[in-house]
Amino acid sequence: MKYRYPALAVSLCVAMAAFSAASYAADGASPDVKGLYLLSDYPAISVQAGTTTTVNLKLRNYDMAPQRLALSVSGVPKGWTATLLGGGQPIEAAMPASDDSVSLALRLDVPKDAGVGSHTLTVSADGATSHISLPVAVTLAKQLPAKLSVSSQLPELRGSSKSDFEYTFTIKNDSGQKLLVSLAAQAPRNFDTAFTQAYGSQQLTAIPVEAGKTKDVKLKVTPPDNVDAGHYPVTVKVAADDASADAKVALDISGQPKLSLAGRDGLLSARATAGKDSTVPVTVTNDGTAPAENIKLSGTAPSGWKVTFQPKVVERIAPNQHVDVQATITPPSQAIAGDYVTTLNASTHGENGTANFRVSVTTSTVWGIAGAGIIGAALLIMVGAVARFGRR
Amino acid sequence: MNAPTPNPVTANGQPHLGNVIEAKGLTKRYGETIAVNDITFNVGAGEIFGLLGPNGAGKTTTILMLLGLSDISAGQARVFGHDPMRDPLSVKRRVGYLPDTVGFYDNLSAADNLHYTARLMGMAREERFRKIAAALNRVGLSEVANKKVGAFSRGMRQRLGLAEIVMKDARIAILDEPTNGLDPQASLELLELIRGFKADGISVVISSHLLDRVQSICDRVALFNAGRIALLGTVGELGRQVLGGGYAVEVEADGGVNLAKRLSALPGVRHVSEPAAGRFRIVCDSDLRAEAAGEVVAGGGRLTQLSLDRPSLETIYTRYFQTAQSPNQDASREVPHAA
Amino acid sequence: MPRNGSREGSAFHGLGVVTLKELSDHFASARMRVLEWLVVLVALAAVYGAIQQIRAVTAEDPFLFLRLFTTAREPLPSFTAFLGFLVPLMAIGLGFDAVNGEHNRRTLSRILSQPIYRDALLFGKFLAGMATMSISLVALWLLVIGLGLITLGVPPGGEEMGRALCFLLVTIAYAGVWLALAMLFSVTFRSPATAALVTLGLWLFVTLIWPALAPAIAQALLPNGDEATLVITAQALSRLSPSTLYAESVLAILHPATRSLGPVYVSQLQGALMGSPLPLWDSLMVAWPQIVGLIAGSIILFVGGYVAFQRQEVRA
Repeated sequence: MKYRYPALAVSLCVAMAAFSAASYAADGASPDVKGLYLLSDYPAISVQAGTTTTVNLKLRNYDMAPQRLALSVSGVPKGWTATLLGGGQPIEAAMPASDDSVSLALRLDVPKDAGVGSHTLTVSADGATSHISLPVAVTLAKQLPAKLSVSSQLPELRGSSKSDFEYTFTIKNDSGQKLLVSLAAQAPRNFDTAFTQAYGSQQLTAIPVEAGKTKDVKLKVTPPDNVDAGHYPVTVKVAADDASADAKVALDISGQPKLSLAGRDGLLSARATAGKDSTVPVTVTNDGTAPAENIKLSGTAPSGWKVTFQPKVVERIAPNQHVDVQATITPPSQAIAGDYVTTLNASTHGENGTANFRVSVTTSTVWGIAGAGIIGAALLIMVGAVARFGRR
Repeated sequence: MNAPTPNPVTANGQPHLGNVIEAKGLTKRYGETIAVNDITFNVGAGEIFGLLGPNGAGKTTTILMLLGLSDISAGQARVFGHDPMRDPLSVKRRVGYLPDTVGFYDNLSAADNLHYTARLMGMAREERFRKIAAALNRVGLSEVANKKVGAFSRGMRQRLGLAEIVMKDARIAILDEPTNGLDPQASLELLELIRGFKADGISVVISSHLLDRVQSICDRVALFNAGRIALLGTVGELGRQVLGGGYAVEVEADGGVNLAKRLSALPGVRHVSEPAAGRFRIVCDSDLRAEAAGEVVAGGGRLTQLSLDRPSLETIYTRYFQTAQSPNQDASREVPHAA
Repeated sequence: MPRNGSREGSAFHGLGVVTLKELSDHFASARMRVLEWLVVLVALAAVYGAIQQIRAVTAEDPFLFLRLFTTAREPLPSFTAFLGFLVPLMAIGLGFDAVNGEHNRRTLSRILSQPIYRDALLFGKFLAGMATMSISLVALWLLVIGLGLITLGVPPGGEEMGRALCFLLVTIAYAGVWLALAMLFSVTFRSPATAALVTLGLWLFVTLIWPALAPAIAQALLPNGDEATLVITAQALSRLSPSTLYAESVLAILHPATRSLGPVYVSQLQGALMGSPLPLWDSLMVAWPQIVGLIAGSIILFVGGYVAFQRQEVRA
């Protein structure tokens, strides 16, 4: 089936080009045909200067005794190199068995300075009894249609350093054959790239593409966390045999706010008195790459505690800037002295900064003063006793 | 030696010149009981004044009130013009007090005990050493000055108590039962020291229940009974008042005519009795020994013995209560101030 | 007692003389010497035990020095437990015959006939007693610290020294309570033996029996009370004993992790960093009611003795 289809195409092509019957008969497998034939699917090709092109040939023996045929190429323009290859090696002769064929290839190295124009090279196979030749028309063309192409639907994505950038590429195989296309992406340093199937998570380094078909692959680019905001290009290169293509995509990293909290001078401790409001100066810093906006401040403390901020919401902090706010921490009046943990939060869209504050609770000095008052009262009683009963 | 007139405080309450202690209507109550009941007396400068009476008669309470160590319930006292209730420190600064059976810190030496009280008086160091040495010398305790008081006899302690008063340069010495518990010899020595105080011009108030033992040194006495002063005055005055005369002269004579009549005729003679033949007892207001002897000789008698009986406080006290109690239980009120 | 206010001169004239005399008496007396040797030997034994124990268990402890006072090694109790027991004994020994002794030696009226008020005598005796206790305790304290320096080889930190000093002061206040009580009884009982027996009896009662009795009394007072109320009541009752007050304040001062001396609800411990030491000031605040109790108690007891003494007649 696979052979019949191109055969049909070939026959059409032959008919349109009004080519020789021999060509037609080559694949016709007609029992009437007898003799040796040198065949090619595409005996007229276009090449580009400075490239290497291979023309597939076939030496067919129809119902003849095998014989040795010396191979040669004539009409090679000056500066060109034409090499006959068989089984991957340069060859001088071929010997097809009866009712069999030998695959050959004519490799043409066209120099860069080759002028535009048409040349006809003749491949000859000379045996003891038969002389056959096949003219191959080579037209030097300025531009050849691509054999492989890659394109991206959404070549430029915008996101924060924390987001994933996913690009979908369509790889199109315009060459006449199925290609194993290798995939590569060139990204800035420390950027992570990974190709996956369009619908799947398997990572790929190469993907087969049938001739004339397309395939979608996905590229996931993960920028490093601390990347600065900016425009980062990524080049995707697909390559197969002698064809390659590339596509450029870009990451537009918008930057990311990063919030952190600390007490004055970076201290993460505070003192508070049981049952009393204690004001703790807190510095909210944006260490990120993008301004943080609409930052809500909150606190998590043991039950019975009250943590409020003044102001509750900070409008905006530019990157590498900080804002001083006041946290008011109120331990319950029956709190016992000692250290407690209070968590203070600053949150904006998608970004959350927390700091654990060690709050040392002091019991109210009211009782201390009351105690001193009791001692004072005792002393007053003594003074009174001396006044009342003294000096006897 | 004439005792100062025992006059009460003047009507306006001003201290009388020459009186170092003035007590007027002094009363001490403990709840219902009255320990000292409305007593009034004065002590003159340089006088030895005896507070005499049985135990529990109110002598010590009176002394404590004078020193400001006990509150005065009613009446008033003046010591050198200072009110012991208001200004006890001024009183105590001038008054030396020897309590009943005085005590000292046994673990300290005699001198150290005195050093402590001297420091309490605020005496400077040098003065202290000088005065303590002199005082101990005066009471004859120099040799045991550095001995612990724990080894001291009763008499030595009493003398040490006197040394404290000497050291203090007190102008009044108040001695509570100074001879109590002392043997006669120690008592005599002590009384001698007390006489020495008088010689220095120190007024002495001496309290005792042993009437006879202190009578000899007292210029005047107040006889206490049940919180009151029963009798007050010189011993002679009291004798005259209670016994009907202060002096009793005994004359023994051989022979002589009408001696009893002759003796009775002498001026100042209250009564003459003849307990035995040739022995006459003359009760008189003054010492009439010379006159009596003259009469015996003038009457032709041969004088064989002549003696004078001073009135004994014991006798006076006993006699007083014997006579006073029969008509009137509260007799003391009638003779509050004997003279 | 009328007209007292109008008396002239200072009530405390002669106070210094009395204090110095009593002080020298205390230090010269055989009684004090016996008590001091007892305390020193027993305390050194306790500290020696503590040192052995600390060396055996060489844990990293930021308050290593304080462990000298609090560590016990069987069969000896800790230094603080010893002090809790012996300080009252010493104070009672100093005070039980303060006034009745003067009466019995018949020195009282002689001394009071000197130009001083009796205020000076009682205040002087109390001050001398306190000074004696303070000097003895300071000496003992220095001894322990010196021993600690030699044997542990670690210098105490400033915070530790502060705590040790507070411990010393609280111990002196504790001694003050017993001294004032002993002096109160020396005023009210004419016989020193009676006064000593009553004071010692009271000491044994409040130190040994009362803490054990308090829960039973709480139960009797509140037959229908819930667990928490009973515990709180029993604790309040046991705090009538100066020994309890002393033990609690020492606990708070020498164990910096002590956060509360009373029952604590679980909710109060939420989010608390357990085992983290309190600053000295907060420890003092925790122990403050107890310290106040000791100080005010000694003042009130002294005033009681003072008023009783002032109202007494000089003569026996």
